Amino acid sequence: MSIAISSLLPITPIAPSLGPGAAAAAGKSTNFASVMDGVIQGVEQPRQEANQAVQSLLNGDGELHTVALATQRADLAFDLGLQIRNKIVSAYTEVMRMQL
Amino acid sequence: MSLFSALSVSASGMAAQRTRAELITENLANAETTRTPEGGPYRRKDVVFQTGSAGSPFAEAMNSAMDGTGGVAVSEILVDQRDPEQRYMPGHPDAGANGYVAYPRINPAEEMVDLMSASNGYQANVASMSAVKDMLQRSIDLLR
Amino acid sequence: MLNALSGNLESYLDLLSVRQKLISSNVANADTPGYKTQDVDFQTEFQSMMQGGQAHATEVAGLKVNNDGNNVSLDREARLLSENALRFSAVSQLLRGQIRNMKSAIDEGKNG
Repeated sequence: MSIAISSLLPITPIAPSLGPGAAAAAGKSTNFASVMDGVIQGVEQPRQEANQAVQSLLNGDGELHTVALATQRADLAFDLGLQIRNKIVSAYTEVMRMQL
Repeated sequence: MSLFSALSVSASGMAAQRTRAELITENLANAETTRTPEGGPYRRKDVVFQTGSAGSPFAEAMNSAMDGTGGVAVSEILVDQRDPEQRYMPGHPDAGANGYVAYPRINPAEEMVDLMSASNGYQANVASMSAVKDMLQRSIDLLR
Repeated sequence: MLNALSGNLESYLDLLSVRQKLISSNVANADTPGYKTQDVDFQTEFQSMMQGGQAHATEVAGLKVNNDGNNVSLDREARLLSENALRFSAVSQLLRGQIRNMKSAIDEGKNG
């Protein structure tokens, strides 16, 4: 029973669906508000999946590793969203600070 | 259906094998018992195993439709109904009019082999439970 | 995003869990008359689980049946038990590594 490890670990770009690049790729306008919306969406979905997984664990019929992974994904998405938000906000304040 | 249910399954296996071992021990202890409160010699006891529900008590407390199948339970304890073995011992206090004493039909060698099988089965369930516990612990480690 | 990173590995763990439950069941019923050993056909089920399907248990063919109809081999179950536990351990370690790497990547970015 040998499964090639390469088929289990696809190398994918990190966070292609989160952030301004994705919004542009999706053809939406890349203004500030819509980018922030995109970030929040990208955080909200893993968070809800994690909540559902925890709920099913409390009900007694969830797999423990599923809950652990869902929680970790939600944490990572949140961290990433946070960093992106900080970057966006700091870029914004820097632009606002520019002398005209 | 979570990995926790596998713990209940192994626990049910341990309980079943232990009951079996207890009965075998009783058989061995009473292999020569000619006199019992119910009258007559001791009758050999055996277990019948049946695949059955082994729901986790945690899940039951949480009122979930637990998939608890796959465990095992002792469905009944069979008492040997065969005629007892007759041995010719005229001087024995329990001898009948014809001088024969009724003895249990128990072969100690057979019982010992059975006991080893019960012991192996018990240990296999312990190993199973231990492996499941390890897997659950690894899952918890994913959170660290 | 993060599903692409670990989705296949998670399916692998799911399948190992299903198999583990069957092994526990087989061991508990090693002396039950008429009980037949159950397992999952790993490769087939793994392919289907990667697409998001459910795993199915099947009866194992080719095992010696004894007088009361039971065909559980404790040796076979012991071997699969060890194998299963080790695979679970290996894959969960891989996942931990991936999570750790992601965390580092995100945290390093904040100082960039």
